Amino acid sequence: MADIVSALLEVARSCPENRAVEYGGHGISYAELVRKVRATARELGPAPGPVGVLTDRSPATVVALLGVLAAGGTYCPVDPAFPAARQRALLEAAGCAKVLVARPGTPVPEGWEPVELPGLLSLPDEEHPGPPAPEAADAQAPAYTLFTSGSTGRPKPVLTPRGAIAASVASLRELFALTPADRVLQFASLNWDTCLEEILPALTTGATLVFHDEAYTGSIPRLLRAVDAAGVTLLDLPTAFWHELVRHLAQSEEQLPDSVRTVVIGGEAAGPARLAEWRALATDRVRLINTYGCTETTLITHAVDLHGPGAPGPGAWWGEHGVPIGKPLPHVTEAIGPDGELSIAGPALATGYRNLPEVTAERFVLREGPHGPVRWFRTGDRVSRRPDGHLVHEGRLDAEIKVRGIRVDPGEIETHLSAHPEVGVAAVVGTRTADRTTVTAYVVPRRADADAAALVREVLRDLRATVPGHLVPHRVTVVPELVHTAGGKIDRLGTHRLHTPAAAAPARTEHHNGPTEQDNR
Amino acid sequence: MSRDDMVEIFRRVLETDSVSVDSDFFASGGDSLLGTRVLSAVARAEGVELSFEDLIEAPTPAALADRVASVTR
Repeated sequence: MADIVSALLEVARSCPENRAVEYGGHGISYAELVRKVRATARELGPAPGPVGVLTDRSPATVVALLGVLAAGGTYCPVDPAFPAARQRALLEAAGCAKVLVARPGTPVPEGWEPVELPGLLSLPDEEHPGPPAPEAADAQAPAYTLFTSGSTGRPKPVLTPRGAIAASVASLRELFALTPADRVLQFASLNWDTCLEEILPALTTGATLVFHDEAYTGSIPRLLRAVDAAGVTLLDLPTAFWHELVRHLAQSEEQLPDSVRTVVIGGEAAGPARLAEWRALATDRVRLINTYGCTETTLITHAVDLHGPGAPGPGAWWGEHGVPIGKPLPHVTEAIGPDGELSIAGPALATGYRNLPEVTAERFVLREGPHGPVRWFRTGDRVSRRPDGHLVHEGRLDAEIKVRGIRVDPGEIETHLSAHPEVGVAAVVGTRTADRTTVTAYVVPRRADADAAALVREVLRDLRATVPGHLVPHRVTVVPELVHTAGGKIDRLGTHRLHTPAAAAPARTEHHNGPTEQDNR
Repeated sequence: MSRDDMVEIFRRVLETDSVSVDSDFFASGGDSLLGTRVLSAVARAEGVELSFEDLIEAPTPAALADRVASVTR
């Protein structure tokens, strides 16, 4: 399996003048991209270890990602819009000694010196000497570090080896049937792994990655216009956002631009009602691919064409047994346990959680196989198999929820809430209402005479200042006490039912496709 | 678009009647995804394509209606 950097260099050799990245109407050729990547790698020096990158919606982030990989380092994206304390926690947990700044002038958390890359995007065009030979890259060496939610309140760093990303991206090029003529929109947040599904398959095919400012405004009409103007052929959207897109198309006169031939969704369960609406729109020529995967199993492990020319026959209707997450990609081995838990094996498994051997041993387990022990990742997702072999997500074995496609352990929000001096204890539940998850927090004040409205305002204000938006509940309710189980543990659902009697059913926890997020609120 | 029209949009999107002209969208359970519904509703009704930034800066029905008016005037 060719390393990602080798694959990029190979593409750049065979079609150097192809447009690799486009931004604001300006293009960067593959030859130019490789020059910038080499310059970045040289600036970092050989084997720089974990490198924090404060991201930006621009080609500079792509150059930084590939530059870190070309130098043999570990890429660790950090959202500069996150509260400073969170940025520090991420950089520390990932062990970053160096921090690259994608947008000049972005403030760097105290304690780190930014690696200056003046004129990153305006380097002279002469040939630079090459980076350390990436062909020799060790498949087990870490390629990037991303974070998942942990109940302690501290982010859990997932270490993904170079071989895992190479194996996954090879499958994705095939799944998306990419060609050099494709134009892939960069839409996903640059701080989670979904963006790598957009960036890496495209840039190892000779296709064009398109950045477009109008795509990130939160306005669906403006996004549709940007997609049309840029001639985008492939869109990769968080399922929660796709739900909103379908609602908009169904309620307006607007249509999906003709240039779009593939829409990839993932991150949580696709709603049958939105899927029915999508089928009723003029979308028969568009491949709608549902995907599933975890950060720990690198991007996508399962996929299925839900609608369009790749769907299994016009008679296929997914409403009856639940919308499937599909079958394993060629590089993936799956197993379903007696309790329905999906486990994954194969080259795309992460190395583990950095510096957390116990948590790693809990989720990454060795099982005896016919040819010796095999390493498996326990996803924590319950699945069933349809008669046609496609998997259907049935829920979680733990309390994890998805907020705008991002995995959240309710315990992590509870830990942050309980850290507030006026809060005694807290319970957090996710409830599913029409296509989305609403996060409700119940907090018991330390002082019985606390002003509830003032406490709610204060708690929300403090949370927004210290944690990313997906960890801020939609609603905070002050209650006199929580409900406990017979064993004395906090009963989240019992608390929810007691204090919100008319509450909708608790979230049928959804499957995930690595964290994605749309904002930082 | 009147302020009351905007209150109606907020109520529909947030699925609650407890929205007044001065209710803050984000303090009333709104987030970026629900925000797209407000922006889409405004675009369909008025042809004005606001951004999420507009909603952050003008998070109440009154402020957002004023912003729409300032664009269409």
